[in-house]
Amino acid sequence: MKVAAILLDTGRELLYRKTIIVYFGVVTLVLLFFVLALQTDVANGVIASLTVAGLEGSASQGGFRLGDGAEGPGMGGLTAEMFVRYVQLGMAFFLYPLAILMSVFATASLVPRMLEKGTIDLMLSKPITRPALFLSRYAGGALTAALNLLYLTLGLAVILAWKTGVWNGGFVLSGLVMSFFFACLLAFTVLAGVLLRSTTVSIMITAVLFVASLLVRMPHSNRDWPLLITSRASRFLAQAVVETLYYALPRSYELVQSTVALIRHEGSVEWGAIFGSAASGALALALAVVYFSRKDY
Amino acid sequence: MVALAGLDLRVPAGQTFGLLGPNGAGKTTLVKLLLAIAFPTSGRAKVLDRPPGNVRAKARIGYLPENHRYPPHLTGEQVLHHFGRLSGLAREERSRRVTTLLRRVRMEEWSGVRVHKYSKGMMQRLGMAQAILNEPELLILDEPTDGVDPIGRREIRDLLLEQRERGATIFLNSHLLSEVERLCDRVAILKDGVLRREGRVEDLTRAKSAFQIEVRSASPGVLEAVAARVPGLTVAENPGPGGLPGGAGPGATSFRGTWLELSGDVPALNGAIDALRRQGVEIASIQPRRDSLEDVFVRVLEEGEPQ
Repeated sequence: MKVAAILLDTGRELLYRKTIIVYFGVVTLVLLFFVLALQTDVANGVIASLTVAGLEGSASQGGFRLGDGAEGPGMGGLTAEMFVRYVQLGMAFFLYPLAILMSVFATASLVPRMLEKGTIDLMLSKPITRPALFLSRYAGGALTAALNLLYLTLGLAVILAWKTGVWNGGFVLSGLVMSFFFACLLAFTVLAGVLLRSTTVSIMITAVLFVASLLVRMPHSNRDWPLLITSRASRFLAQAVVETLYYALPRSYELVQSTVALIRHEGSVEWGAIFGSAASGALALALAVVYFSRKDY
Repeated sequence: MVALAGLDLRVPAGQTFGLLGPNGAGKTTLVKLLLAIAFPTSGRAKVLDRPPGNVRAKARIGYLPENHRYPPHLTGEQVLHHFGRLSGLAREERSRRVTTLLRRVRMEEWSGVRVHKYSKGMMQRLGMAQAILNEPELLILDEPTDGVDPIGRREIRDLLLEQRERGATIFLNSHLLSEVERLCDRVAILKDGVLRREGRVEDLTRAKSAFQIEVRSASPGVLEAVAARVPGLTVAENPGPGGLPGGAGPGATSFRGTWLELSGDVPALNGAIDALRRQGVEIASIQPRRDSLEDVFVRVLEEGEPQ
C-alpha cells in the first residue's frame, strides 16, 4: 500500500506538471488523425487504394507518396504489411524522440522536489524505508513514461490493424524497448537529482549522457581509430575513456537499432545491448539509492 | 561544526516534553536524529524502545516538521489520504479518520482545494491533522504554532491537550515559551548543541530559596520595621500578577502592598514568620516564589546559569 501510494502520487505529480499532458495530447491528435483521415482499400493483402485526408496515395520508389492522383492510380503492389511498417517507422522516428524528451523533462524534477526541505522530512518520518521510498519514486516516473509510450504504440498498432487488417506486434514491442531505454536513462537522471538536487542540472546531465552514449558507439565499433593518435599514453587514455563510457552508459544506438529491427521484422533485438543497458542503469540506480539512504536531510 | 554534544535525555511515556533553545541550538537536529532523517556521528538513541528509523516504530509516530510542504497538486483531503496510506492505514479506517480530522481542524470547506492555495495557518491546521492521523503514541511537533494567529494557536493547543488526554507522548519544539509552560510537564533547554537545563516545569520555575508571604491586618509601618530587622525580607511594593505563582488569581490586586518577599532558606523563613507573628501580623499564605519559564530561559541563555 505504501509503495502504491508513492506510485499514485508520482503519477499525479507528473500529470500536474502538464509536460506529460502535452505529450499525451500530441499522441492523441496523431491517433485521431489516423482514425479520421486514413482510408485504405486492401485486397488480398495488397493496398489497392489509399487516401489520407483527401490526398490519394500512389506508388513511389521503394514506398508510396501522397498527391492529387496525377501520378496514376494504384499502389504498385504495395502490401498492407509494408505500408504499416513504413507508417510505424515514420511515427517512431518522430514520436519516440518526443516521448523521451518529454519524459525526461517531466521526470527530472521528481527527486529534487522530493528532497526539498519540509517535504523530505515528512516523507522520511513515515514508516517506509529509504530505498523503498526512492525506488517507488523512480518506478512511478518510469511507469508513467512507459504508459505514455504504450498508449502511442498500442493505439497506433490497433488503428492500423483496423484500417489495413495487419497487426504488427513488433511496433508495440519497440515501444517496450524505448520504455526500457528511458528507464535506464531515468536511473542517471535520478542519480544526478539526488547528488545535485537540481532539476535543470539533472536534465542537462541526462542530455549530455544521452549524446555521449550515442557518440562513443562509433569509436567503440571502429577499432582502427586509436591509430590516429600517435602518443601511446594519449591513445591508451582515449581508448579507456571511450570504452568506459560505452560500457557505463545505456547503449542508445543499439537500442534504437533494435526498435527498427522489431518494427521491420528484420534482424533481431540486440540482447547484449539490452543487458548492458540494464546493468548500467541498475548501477546508477544502486548508487543513487545508497547515497540517498546514507545522506542527512 | 558540532550540532549536538553530550546530550543525555529521556522522555517518559505519556508526558508532554518541551524542547527549548535559541535558533541554531540543535533542537531540529535532535528531532531529525530521533526520526532518522539525519544520522549521528556518534552516540545512540531509542524511540519507542526501537532504534531511530525503525519502520514499526515510525508507524506509531506522528510528526509535524517546521516549514512543512505538501505536494501542491493535492487537495487537503488527498494529502491526508496520501499520508494515511504511507502510514499503512486501511481504506475504511483512513476515510473515517480523514473526515473526522478535517472537521476537527475546521478544514472541511477547504478539503477539496489544492494546498498551494492554503494560508500558513491552514497549512498548520492540515499539518496537525496529518500528524495525528495515525493516532500516534508519540507526537513530535516542530514549531506547530509558527505563523498561526492567536485563535489558531488556541485551537492547536486544545488539539494537543486532547492528544495528551488520549495518552500520547508529546515532544514539542517551540519558541513560544508561554505555550510550552502551559502544555509541558517537562522541558529541556539547549544552547549551542549542549543541554543546559532539564526538568519538570514546576521545578525549573521555582526560585531557589525565595518565598512570597501574604499578610493581613498589619498596622502602618509594622511591616517595614520587621523587614528592617529580618535579613532578606522586603515588602513587595507591587507584586502584580506576574509576581505571583501561577498568576495572581481572583482578587489579587486587593492585596497590593501586603506581600512580603524573602530571599533565604527554610530556617530564615521560620525566623521571618516568628518576627511577623510577634508583631501581631496575620499571615494569609506562604508560597515558594516562581519565575516564569521565560525568566528561566533568558537566565540560562544569557547568564549561563548552570544545571
